[in-house]
Amino acid sequence: MSIRVNIHPYLYHLTNNQEVVEVDGITVGECLKDLIKQFPDIKQVLFDQNGKFINYVNIYINMEDAFPNELAKSVKDGDELHILPIIMGG
Amino acid sequence: MLSSEELERYDRQIMIRGFGEDGQEKLKQAKVIIAGSGGLGSPAAIYLVAAGVGTIRLIDHDTVELSNLNRQVLHGDNDIGRNKVDSAVEKLGKLNKYVTIEPIAETINEENISRLVAGFDLIVDAMDNLPTRYLLNRAAIENNIPFFHGAVYGLEGRVMTIIPGKTACLKCVYRGLIPQEKFPVIGVTPAIVACLQATEVVKYIVGIGKLLTSKLLVYDGLNMRFTELMVKRDPNCEHCGHLASTENE
Repeated sequence: MSIRVNIHPYLYHLTNNQEVVEVDGITVGECLKDLIKQFPDIKQVLFDQNGKFINYVNIYINMEDAFPNELAKSVKDGDELHILPIIMGG
Repeated sequence: MLSSEELERYDRQIMIRGFGEDGQEKLKQAKVIIAGSGGLGSPAAIYLVAAGVGTIRLIDHDTVELSNLNRQVLHGDNDIGRNKVDSAVEKLGKLNKYVTIEPIAETINEENISRLVAGFDLIVDAMDNLPTRYLLNRAAIENNIPFFHGAVYGLEGRVMTIIPGKTACLKCVYRGLIPQEKFPVIGVTPAIVACLQATEVVKYIVGIGKLLTSKLLVYDGLNMRFTELMVKRDPNCEHCGHLASTENE
């Protein structure tokens, strides 16, 4: 299983400047777990101190919003994830 | 009724297929709120005034600061310390005498928002913080007013058009709050995003084209790419979940 995770430009510094990271998993949660295994620092922007997925980050599977229950959503070989934090500047 | 001078003034846009004099008349009759007169609000106001939107209510409580001037193009060195809406109206008034601009130097809050949006047809989200964006989103839903969202950070921008009860609203897409902090930005980013918002506003008023509804357009200036992400109405959305479900547009 190979899933491509598109890293948001804000977060490049947490993935050694990699824009796309290949991960394994059959759910979004497993993919994020693998992402964190490869780049442990990214955990801080995805999960709070209690291990809860942070609600100001959105996950898109093949360009579609994965909300609700994002982490439980199934993914298959070749799928693409986007991690998108909220922006609010004007 | 458009005067001969107005017909000449708007000639090039009246030529656009589907636009015509009827479209221009619709713009003239339209009453649009621009919430914020900073990075997004400045270019949005400039282009909506130039296009001939009849009435624009510009709301901003802030005063002009030196650090605003890299991006808030309605304001210049001589405006530092002035109310942004006063500075903005002075310039906008010189752009198009056929547009009525109402400056309102108030902070948008739960107490005044109903009064501020009453009687207006559309709201342009040109704010710089999430709590006020959520307030505007809720007011737009409650008053059945289309809401044109835009936001920026650095070289990134996002745009979405919200038709209450029909398409995903801001709260369907964003659920959390992020800490208010100084954000990086260069003027070209809000210029692009605000022009996209203004394009949506004009299309909606005139009734042409397809709107950016139930889609979040992400502009990535760093890599010069636009990405469309599909979003959907959340039946449990605390702002629009109570409205009868209709198909996403």
